[in-house]
Amino acid sequence: MSLFLRLLGRNVLSFCAYLGQLLLLAVDSFRSIFTAPIRWKLFMGQLLEVGYRSQLVVLVTGGFTGAVFAAQTYFQFHRLGMDSAVGAVVSVSMFRELGPVLSGLMMAGRVGAAMSAEIGTMKVTEQIDALRALGVYPVDYLVVPRLLAMMISMPLLVAECVGLGIVAGYFVGVVLLDVQGAYYLDYMLRFTGSRDIKMALTKGVVFSLIIVFVSCHQGLNAKEGAVGVGRAPTEAVVIGSLSILVINFFLSLILNAIFPAGV
Amino acid sequence: MSTIQETEPAAQSGAAPLISIRDVWKQLGEQEVLRGFDLDVFTGETLVIVGRSGGGKSVLLKHIIGLMKPDKGDVLVDGESIVALSERQLSRVRKKIAVLFQSSALFDSMTVEENIAFPLREAGHKDQGLIDAKVAGALDMVDLAGEQKKMPENLSGGMRKRVGLARAIVIEPRCILYDEPTTGLDPIVADSINRLIRRLQKRLGITSIVVTHDMKSAFHVADEVAYLYEGRVYFKGTPEALRASTDPLIHDFIEGRSRESRSED
Repeated sequence: MSLFLRLLGRNVLSFCAYLGQLLLLAVDSFRSIFTAPIRWKLFMGQLLEVGYRSQLVVLVTGGFTGAVFAAQTYFQFHRLGMDSAVGAVVSVSMFRELGPVLSGLMMAGRVGAAMSAEIGTMKVTEQIDALRALGVYPVDYLVVPRLLAMMISMPLLVAECVGLGIVAGYFVGVVLLDVQGAYYLDYMLRFTGSRDIKMALTKGVVFSLIIVFVSCHQGLNAKEGAVGVGRAPTEAVVIGSLSILVINFFLSLILNAIFPAGV
Repeated sequence: MSTIQETEPAAQSGAAPLISIRDVWKQLGEQEVLRGFDLDVFTGETLVIVGRSGGGKSVLLKHIIGLMKPDKGDVLVDGESIVALSERQLSRVRKKIAVLFQSSALFDSMTVEENIAFPLREAGHKDQGLIDAKVAGALDMVDLAGEQKKMPENLSGGMRKRVGLARAIVIEPRCILYDEPTTGLDPIVADSINRLIRRLQKRLGITSIVVTHDMKSAFHVADEVAYLYEGRVYFKGTPEALRASTDPLIHDFIEGRSRESRSED
């Protein structure tokens, strides 16, 4: 029993320490945005890398999720004679949950892994020590451009994901499965409002923060050697993805109170 | 254990040390790496710190530039204690001291030219013509003129060290810290790096602290040698005094004799 408690205590403490380190990194990064000069060239480079080049991944995810979701919803609703409600279900679900969460997960995989691997490699090859020795604060140079690029890119990528998901859902529902187009659109527009868009974009921003801070923290704390550098992206993706799923639940409850779903 | 020989010519002349390490203690994991380390380095001198691998030499260098903080003790640069300074405040101190890292630590996403120009741009230089001239001058100093456009991945180990050195000297620091400058290089390239360190010291009058376990390098570049043993300075003196030492620990280290080979003799 005492061993169990000791193990539990140790894990709780290390979890709290980890959260504390993430929080300190976040505070340091936001302070840096306002106190240190922004490195526009690095920021633009990151915008290109995390924003522009992530579009294909997010669009494919959104498109096929919308398509399969419309098909599955149709198969169930058709039996009840509710074909025309498919559009509303697809749209609201894409905005409120599927779009942000799936974009977040894909970005945690694509961008989170790249960030932690890049920063981790810089750590073990002494490049971060070199930055510090040259009088450059690593948070200003490495974290802030990534943070700003992600905070701008992520809501836009979520919007693209949701947009293509809805278009693909419409195509599957109306073109392939013979739902009446006018009813499909009417129900969709009736049940979807600015509250859903706000929820999607808010989640996008929150998930971008999770991905950046988890990934940069893993990179900055990478251990020596191939194992250490290899572990950083793995842990960044696992912790980032799980955090997105867990935080999404609580975020949904909170945001639903602010932007309630419905007509 | 006490220091067995001391010769401090600059100290005797009354000059204040550029770098002063006072009773520094540092524990990493279970190991106590530095155990009351004391050392003064004076302007213009080349001090070589020798000692066994894993003996805390690189850790010591990281304390001098504030990359690590001591558990106890003080580090003074130009009379100013740097132990309590924040990372941002340390930037000011770090402009006086440059480091040549063991792995050269070139930024692999940048060309040679961009690597060397990096500290200049960070210091606020905007004039491209001036930056180009300074980069060319630094490259010339390390015998790599015309290699501006190469990427670090296309350079040999020796060339990387030279570019690292060019990046270190381009901001005209008062002191350069060399972390194992000849490790991993063939003897001829190692010799050219040693000559380069000596030449820079003579031409620019830069204070140098070289950490190495390469005794040939130590004898080549040193004005003074400090032998680090069990976290403290075991010996400090001229290279000649080190060579003449009859202390078995020092003698074995210079000759590169392990305990096993001594028992075989």
